[in-house]
Amino acid sequence: MKFGFFPKLAWEGIRKNKRLYLPYLTTGAVMVMMYYIMSFLSETDLLTHMRGGNVLKNMLPLGCWIVAVFSLIFLFYSNSFLLRQRNREFGLYNILGMDKRNLAHIVFWETLISGACALICGLGLGIAFSMLAEAGMLNILNAEIDYTLRVDFQSAGKAVLIFAFIYTLLLLKALINVWRRNPVALLNSSKVGEKPPKANWVFAVLGVVILAGAYYIAVSIDEPLTAAVWFFLAVLMVIIATFLLFISGSVALCRLLQKNKRYYYKPNHFVSVSSMVYRMKRNGAGLASICILLTMVLVMLSSTLSLYVGAEDTLNQRYPYDISLRLKIPSVELWNDETIAGMRTSIQEKVPNRKNVQEFSFAESPCMFMEKKIEIDQRAFEEYSLSNSGTAGYLHVISLEDYNRIMGVSETLDPYECFLYIERLKFSDDSITLGKNKELKIKAVLNSMFDITGSGLAAIPHAVLVASDKDTLLALLTDELNRPLMSLYWCYRFDIEGDQSAQLNACDKLRSEMEDIALRQPDGSYSYTLECREYNSAEFYGLYGGLFFIGILLSIVFLFAAVLIIYYKQISEGYEDQKRFEIMQKVGMTKRDIRKSTNSQILTVFFAPIVFAGLHLGFAFPAIWEMLQLFGFTNLLLMVIVTASFFLIFGICYMFIYKMTANAYYNIVSGVHAKE
Amino acid sequence: MSILQVTGLKKIYTTRFGGNSVEALRNVNFTVENGEYVAIMGESGSGKTTLLNILAALDKPTAGSIILDGQDLSQVKESQIAAFRRDNLGFVFQEFNLLDTFSIEDNIYLPLVLAGKGYKEMQERLKPIAVQLGIAELLKKYPYEISGGQKQRVAIARAIITNPKLILADEPTGALDSKSTDELLRLFSTINTSGHTILMVTHSVKAASHAGRVLFIKDGEVFHQIYRGDSTNEQLYQKISDTLTILATGGERK
Repeated sequence: MKFGFFPKLAWEGIRKNKRLYLPYLTTGAVMVMMYYIMSFLSETDLLTHMRGGNVLKNMLPLGCWIVAVFSLIFLFYSNSFLLRQRNREFGLYNILGMDKRNLAHIVFWETLISGACALICGLGLGIAFSMLAEAGMLNILNAEIDYTLRVDFQSAGKAVLIFAFIYTLLLLKALINVWRRNPVALLNSSKVGEKPPKANWVFAVLGVVILAGAYYIAVSIDEPLTAAVWFFLAVLMVIIATFLLFISGSVALCRLLQKNKRYYYKPNHFVSVSSMVYRMKRNGAGLASICILLTMVLVMLSSTLSLYVGAEDTLNQRYPYDISLRLKIPSVELWNDETIAGMRTSIQEKVPNRKNVQEFSFAESPCMFMEKKIEIDQRAFEEYSLSNSGTAGYLHVISLEDYNRIMGVSETLDPYECFLYIERLKFSDDSITLGKNKELKIKAVLNSMFDITGSGLAAIPHAVLVASDKDTLLALLTDELNRPLMSLYWCYRFDIEGDQSAQLNACDKLRSEMEDIALRQPDGSYSYTLECREYNSAEFYGLYGGLFFIGILLSIVFLFAAVLIIYYKQISEGYEDQKRFEIMQKVGMTKRDIRKSTNSQILTVFFAPIVFAGLHLGFAFPAIWEMLQLFGFTNLLLMVIVTASFFLIFGICYMFIYKMTANAYYNIVSGVHAKE
Repeated sequence: MSILQVTGLKKIYTTRFGGNSVEALRNVNFTVENGEYVAIMGESGSGKTTLLNILAALDKPTAGSIILDGQDLSQVKESQIAAFRRDNLGFVFQEFNLLDTFSIEDNIYLPLVLAGKGYKEMQERLKPIAVQLGIAELLKKYPYEISGGQKQRVAIARAIITNPKLILADEPTGALDSKSTDELLRLFSTINTSGHTILMVTHSVKAASHAGRVLFIKDGEVFHQIYRGDSTNEQLYQKISDTLTILATGGERK
């Protein structure tokens, strides 16, 4: 046979089936494009030099792998669909005298052509859009943008390698498919009679139960620390339940409706319900995947955007002052006014342009909260956590003097009296025992407390104890050998007069001064934490912006997958319904009747995933909210708005996809395609 | 009284840009009396299927008129045509055309459900028909579970359950083995005797030999017709064979 015969045959096959091949080729191209863009961004030098860029730089390669894995899944999905439709054609060739080697030739050329198309178009688009993606990324990270077109050959090479591998796998699958079937089976494979789906009641009920359980777990999560674990469990359960419900539950529901004769034997319901059973059986898995993908995208986008938009708030809460110094003092003896005054003077000399200064001393310790007792001796923790009798958390102790000054009040306390402030805890007694045997009388439980650590502790149970004077404090905080039971700190924080560079400048000066002080100590055991908002701001935007950006990129991939699944669903149903509609028309249905009945079916099938996604999202919301608080995010309203708008936007996109694919469906069904 | 009157029927197919035109029906005239059993024969390409499609109002003629029970088909509004078809015509096809998503029972009910009948009434109507056609045991099954002959009987049940004025059958025996064919033709005769008018398109001599009258179509025209008269099925079979021989060997029009 002449060279060029098989390539030509393969090309004709693709061209004639463009309705099927176009989405397949597009999938390939888009996946290559996304892979290249992610890889390109992770290789770019810009991120390395940017403050906060490293976070994103570390996450992008992970994104690359996610795209690669999903490409494999999606391409296999659409390819299996293609094969089903092409088998008939291959069967015909086979009967007309082509042997399986010839068919293998065609399959080989087809895969080569589609792979090459995907790679060339994908890389082309990738190179074109990588600049846009980079600009978008830099914009999100609050960095400067420069527009120069670069091509990253290393990324392109990687994309070629990975996708060549994927297409080789696809080729193998197609070859096995051709090899294993006999010609008659090939010819008839698209019209094998199908058993009516049986309702699997066990799975249907199981689906409902699991979903209810998952929702219950999600709603009852009220503690951020354990939220992550429970949430993960709930997510798994929701995924399982969604698949069970879409595959078995839907069929069971249709069967129930069919049993109700008065409902079933109505012109509107008769055709819809009976064909719905088959539709759901065939597409249940696809719809469930769409539902899960949509939910994932929505959760990802809304939480990352919330974090990103709320970053400024979070930043202000976490870092209430421009510069904040926490000095850890090694011994009880050094924890006095004299030491502290020395420190203060040297800081004041280095950084004269201070304003809004706040300073106080405090003691900090992890602890176990019991009914009448707060255990701060860490040696005793183990037995409590074994017997599971207390709540783990943090305790801070401050002096009344600092409290009165900072809060602008003039409260008084007798010795061994205290005020107590608690968060995420219950404490109803009027006295508590601290440590081994020091009992304190609680004069009052406070309603508000100034911020001691930045709101890094917002998610953890913690308490602040205001002690009457420093002697009481010291008595509280030491053991028999006069060693401190808690860590002792001095905190000094202030804003800076001037712009951001003045902040960074002051911060640098302060840092070197603190290094000196630490060095000057004979025992070298002072340690300090210096937080500068401006430094951390870049990290914040790097982290949240990076998360958001990855969220966008992956959303594009997932959305594309959803569109693809929907499209193939519509097309395959179109081909299956075509014959059915001819019959119905002959038996006396008008085109309008048919259109109406299918419209309602398609709508139901089509919008079930997004309705369920909305439901999932709604129930996940409280748990997500708890988890975002771990990041110091506290703007509930913002999160509601962001989530709701994403859902709305997706709803509109979904409508759009529906319109697009519904047309393809009607064209097939009404035979516009067949007559050509 | 004639139930169907076809006069001067003409159908020309043109390609999309009007380049080529094919004349499928040139000038077809015939009538069918109430309660008659008419077979239409002809070679493939003679225009049989085109004729049937036009009679079924699935296609429009280029010229000519069809009057069914006093109503001109061309006067029926587009929006009414499906309902018209449902109420007046019953169909039996070569490929059975059962919907595989419905059980046998539901397949038979389909036209009635579309006409908005209640479940009780449908059940009442189905009972005698199911017994007559021997499908009472199959009602809860699905099309993929039954044989071709059984499927065709179900299709007949679906065609007659609406009490149509005319049953149109398109090669009803085409996909059946000889035993099922015999059975089916016997059934057709039975339902014809019970008052249904049948118009069957076929190229099987055996099928045609069961009819009361046989029309022959050639080159888009009714070329010849044979009445059964007092002939037995065998005698009619012989007559039809002879006529077909003459047609094939290019005999002149009588």
